[in-house]
Amino acid sequence: MSAAVTVEHAVGAIDPAALLAAFAASASGAGAIASFTGLARPTAQDGAALTALILESHATLTLASMQAIAQDAANRFALTHLLVTHRHGPIAPGEAIVFVAAAAAHRRAAFDAVDYAMDRLKTEAIFWKREDSKTGSQWIEPTNADHAAAAAWEKL
Amino acid sequence: MATTAASLLTVELYGRLADPLGREVALAIPPDGLTAATLIAALATAHPALAPDLTSRRIRAGVNDVLVAPDTRIRPGDRVALFPPVSGG
Repeated sequence: MSAAVTVEHAVGAIDPAALLAAFAASASGAGAIASFTGLARPTAQDGAALTALILESHATLTLASMQAIAQDAANRFALTHLLVTHRHGPIAPGEAIVFVAAAAAHRRAAFDAVDYAMDRLKTEAIFWKREDSKTGSQWIEPTNADHAAAAAWEKL
Repeated sequence: MATTAASLLTVELYGRLADPLGREVALAIPPDGLTAATLIAALATAHPALAPDLTSRRIRAGVNDVLVAPDTRIRPGDRVALFPPVSGG
């Protein structure tokens, strides 16, 4: 079975509730839908109030990296539908950065596919993330925990 | 002689790599090119402001919109981009 995979590299704000509603409508007949929304936190890593989170991307390789991750998730889990939407540009605190939804006949595949896609997006999707606050700007790179989470899927 | 003259390559920089000198820097490369790993080392030498980030992190190269291995040969006229560690989500 081949899942319907949709990958979007969004410039403007994304609305997770609207995305989930549209996804659920497209995935009619599925027995389970799981979704994840990643949000810009209100504070930078040093605790200062965040003025903006900047997501930089590449004109072609960013979307290609997201498509590769989404296709791997669709190949690995028994899904009917998968949606990966990721913003780039300046993102205000509280706004959504990323939205992933998976539909499947049964819940485990849907949960796992979302978890897997997020672990790989954190470490492999071609984005560069910068926190801007009153105390300055700081580029954010994946933590050891992020790398461990992505690597753990290879051992399963 | 023109056949041995170095070519000027424009290298596009992403993320923290663009902070010191901006999005694009120039690098003179041999007419027969050089590997991606050698290009990164040569760029650190030619532009010392970039050296700390180029040498302290794993930098990947994109050539003509494809991610390449460190031993991939880059030739005059290629479109080259350098990527510091990525982070989505």
